Amino acid sequence: MPYPFSKTALVPNLTLPKDAPLEKLKLGKGLMPFLQKNLYSAGKAELMHDLFSRQSPKQLRVGSIVTVLNDQAPNTFTGVLIAIRRRGPDSSITLRNILQRTGIEMQFFPNAPGVKEVKVIRPPPKGRMRRAKLYYLRDSPDKMSMLAGGKNK
Amino acid sequence: MIGLKSTLNVIDNSGALIVECVNVLKNKVNNGWGSVGDEIVVVVQKARPVSAATQASVNAVKVRRGDVRRAVIVRTRKAVRRPDGSYVRFDDNAAILLNNKREMLGTRIGGMVSGDLRLKGWGKIVSLAPRVV
Repeated sequence: MPYPFSKTALVPNLTLPKDAPLEKLKLGKGLMPFLQKNLYSAGKAELMHDLFSRQSPKQLRVGSIVTVLNDQAPNTFTGVLIAIRRRGPDSSITLRNILQRTGIEMQFFPNAPGVKEVKVIRPPPKGRMRRAKLYYLRDSPDKMSMLAGGKNK
Repeated sequence: MIGLKSTLNVIDNSGALIVECVNVLKNKVNNGWGSVGDEIVVVVQKARPVSAATQASVNAVKVRRGDVRRAVIVRTRKAVRRPDGSYVRFDDNAAILLNNKREMLGTRIGGMVSGDLRLKGWGKIVSLAPRVV
């Protein structure tokens, strides 16, 4: 069986690239950079590169308004992008929104099979924010509403 | 992560406003933590004033300050992991009061609740809530 320690474990169908240096990898040489490049879900490598690579013109920028479409509930979540965590296949984004007078933050991992689409609704004001993480928005609802509603034109 | 002495907002119409956790029922010890969907024992710290009319009425179950009740946690400030790997975090801790038979004391819910309640078997609360995330 593919996973020798459990009969019921679900093992994803990962296909190795043809030029993978298997002998060196089995010794652990160059294993982590190899995984960072190849551990993406089917068809997600290009999406992850577009969203997270700093050279990509479509890269996600903190302070933009983003919608994430999921397979399961909540099927859509819209919010201000307050944090981008770049870890290769494990990269994630945190969106903050205020619904029913309560703030709610959700952290999504676009490499997960449940995440269908990540859409940028509005870029950040003036193209960029002056911080990498916008945790100060948790304490100032007026700055949140400025980001959410102010820059309409 | 709700434990002893944690305060929670009450978001139903039972009359309580702020409750303080005294025990997390899924743990055998006092010093455990509760999360969304866990039943806890609470003491009512702040309640809406009960007018004389509602005192006389039989229907209303209004709680008073100092009451010891059970509650279920519906929102936490600590991030809760979903099975698909995403995390949800709210800006406050909130609970809904229950009676000893796991039924709601109030009749309406006035705020958002976490979708993790469905997984833990609180479908009635999820269906009553105005917004579930």
